[in-house]
Amino acid sequence: MAAKKLYESFSKELIEEVHRWGSMKQTGVSLKYMMEFGSKPTPRNLLISSQFLHKELPMRIARRVIDLQTLPYGLSLKPAVLKVRDWYLDSFRDLRSFPDIKDENDELEFTKMINLVKVRHNNVVPMMALGVQQLKKDLHPKIDYKDLDEIHQFLDRFYMSRIGIRMLIGQHVALHDPNPPPDCVGYIHTKMSPLEVARNATEDARSICLREYGSAPKVNIYGDPNFTFPYVPTHLHLMVFELVKNSLRAVEERFVDSDKVAPPVRIIVADGLEDVTIKISDEGGGIPRSGLPKIFTYLYSTARNPLDEHSDLDTIDLATVSTLAGYGYGLPISRLYARYFGGDLQIISMEGYGTDAYLHLSRLGDSQEPLP
Amino acid sequence: MAKKKLSDSVVKELAEEVKEWGSMKQTGVSLKQMMNFGGSSKNLLISAQFVHKELPIRIARRVIELENLPYGLSTQNAVLQVRDWYLDSFRDLRSYPEIKDKNDELKFTQMVKMIKVRHNNVVPMMALGVKQLKKERPQFDYKDLKEVHQFLDRFYLSRIGIRMLIDKFSLNAGQHVALHDPNPLPNCVGYIHTKMSPLEVARDASEDARSMCLREYGSAPAVNIYGDPNLTFPYVPSHLHMMVFELVKNSARAVQERFMDSHDEAPPIRIIVAGGLEDISDEGGGIPRSGLPKIFTYLYSTAENPLDEDFTSTGAATACTMAGYGYGIPISRLYARYFGGDLQILSMEGYGTDAFLHLLRLGDSQEPLP
Repeated sequence: MAAKKLYESFSKELIEEVHRWGSMKQTGVSLKYMMEFGSKPTPRNLLISSQFLHKELPMRIARRVIDLQTLPYGLSLKPAVLKVRDWYLDSFRDLRSFPDIKDENDELEFTKMINLVKVRHNNVVPMMALGVQQLKKDLHPKIDYKDLDEIHQFLDRFYMSRIGIRMLIGQHVALHDPNPPPDCVGYIHTKMSPLEVARNATEDARSICLREYGSAPKVNIYGDPNFTFPYVPTHLHLMVFELVKNSLRAVEERFVDSDKVAPPVRIIVADGLEDVTIKISDEGGGIPRSGLPKIFTYLYSTARNPLDEHSDLDTIDLATVSTLAGYGYGLPISRLYARYFGGDLQIISMEGYGTDAYLHLSRLGDSQEPLP
Repeated sequence: MAKKKLSDSVVKELAEEVKEWGSMKQTGVSLKQMMNFGGSSKNLLISAQFVHKELPIRIARRVIELENLPYGLSTQNAVLQVRDWYLDSFRDLRSYPEIKDKNDELKFTQMVKMIKVRHNNVVPMMALGVKQLKKERPQFDYKDLKEVHQFLDRFYLSRIGIRMLIDKFSLNAGQHVALHDPNPLPNCVGYIHTKMSPLEVARDASEDARSMCLREYGSAPAVNIYGDPNLTFPYVPSHLHMMVFELVKNSARAVQERFMDSHDEAPPIRIIVAGGLEDISDEGGGIPRSGLPKIFTYLYSTAENPLDEDFTSTGAATACTMAGYGYGIPISRLYARYFGGDLQILSMEGYGTDAFLHLLRLGDSQEPLP
């Protein structure tokens, strides 16, 4: 059983180490830098990269441990949150106890180790969601999502940091691939076609809609098919998938009992000088202005969390959990992904008509990772 | 020549009065309340007495603000002129005796109408003042002048409120007194149309914007308007007209300039009216994300200010076409917010811009009182 406070089960030295590393200055990396550095994955460069991560990762992880311990309203004491904290602590320990990286062998061992760290943290989002759910039960029913601003801000910082940690680890691991796909530098596709990614994500979203409702509205996509720019396709796929999924559901539910043909969802991909903007428009009936702030919160969710009170936190079925990505956390987390590389996500709605989502992706690639 | 500081010129008592009235609490009125403003002669007397007390409070606040602007804006000649207008109006109101009967009320109505006329050119005059400041301090960037923006937002918002009050009051007074007045439009309560059709207003405003575009460019993009023609709600048509005109004008200009040298046909501007919302979309090439904050500032303007250093108060005719030259977007947003709505602009660089005008259908929200 996860102990309540650090000092109850972990050594004093560990606690002090966490505090020390948690106050060291983090170093951000830009998309451009990741691309340039990763384009020459020589053994020497991989060594430099691993030495950087060996120092950088514990700093970021330690900060999160401290955050997790000091959450308001008793969130820190929820069993699910303690579990997440233990994952972060174990990872911190693994990193700190790894000896100096001096040669290729060390480097390979290190890479294996951080990959395991990444796997350990695969279910952080649903687990934190469970913790929040556990908190909501305890809280006075009158407390509204609006009052829990501190928790929202924490979760935004927490998940943003997680995106960064996983990007750094994933990128480093991917650079070891002896046969990378053409034009790819780790996770980054130097010639990504946003139109193509949008098409794929849309098809995935339509399949889910079809399975759930028996039909799916059409999606029309407009944009230059020859336009490409460097970006991380998995990030874009996740965001577009999320937004299209929401649009499809809104349209389906609005026209389910209607004789009228459901109007198509429209996606426009615009390439500007500073930004690539993807607009996803639907006529699904819209969201009232008063309801808009809610959609970006983590505490408000219309979808059911497959994890519940009775889940055994130690034996969660990975298959169940992997379908969770996108169930109720989609919008706020999509926005974090957008902001991670200097972009943004804006949702504007016309109550009674439909909703438009504007996904701005920065083309310049020189914005530093946000480091909360 | 406008004097620099209050104490230099006018009686010390006036300065103290301004200070005293400037710290009194303002009283907001909602759209709903305004609709019930007039009616019986008893109501008219009460409203006159309310306006007699409320206007000097709001005007005095503005005098004090105008005197205390940062970066030397207060000492620019054009700003001193505006301050003097406000001072004169304050004096007119304060020196007007208590309103006891219909005659008093009638004369008061006339006086208040004249105040409105005196202040007709406040916007271009303040704009000139800002221009004068920029000349004096060329190193300032719009970003640095956040305080000035905030002041201008408050100032113009307050002006909207003052003019609304005057309009409402004087129109009702006019209706009541003049037995030979032609009947007002059905469903009209002063400037508020109880059954305004946003679709209809959007159509009119679009046509006006297209005419302007035609005059300037020789052609104008088509405007397609979608929405329920039967949708109506209480609102101030002139406000909505002004906002839609402004937005469509911007869209038309963007589209014209983008497709000027192209063989492709200019794509139409789309307006969608839904519930209390109007979406005005164009494919005029968009605004980069970094440029978006600028469009809501008063210090940034792509259009030329027809006013220049030689502006005199007889330039009224020129001035009325000014409405919309570079101040359109921030002021439109103020109009939208005045009754609890909003204006949001989203853009897709390389493609086009969408403007979302939210209007509150119900008139419960109180006037914002900066």
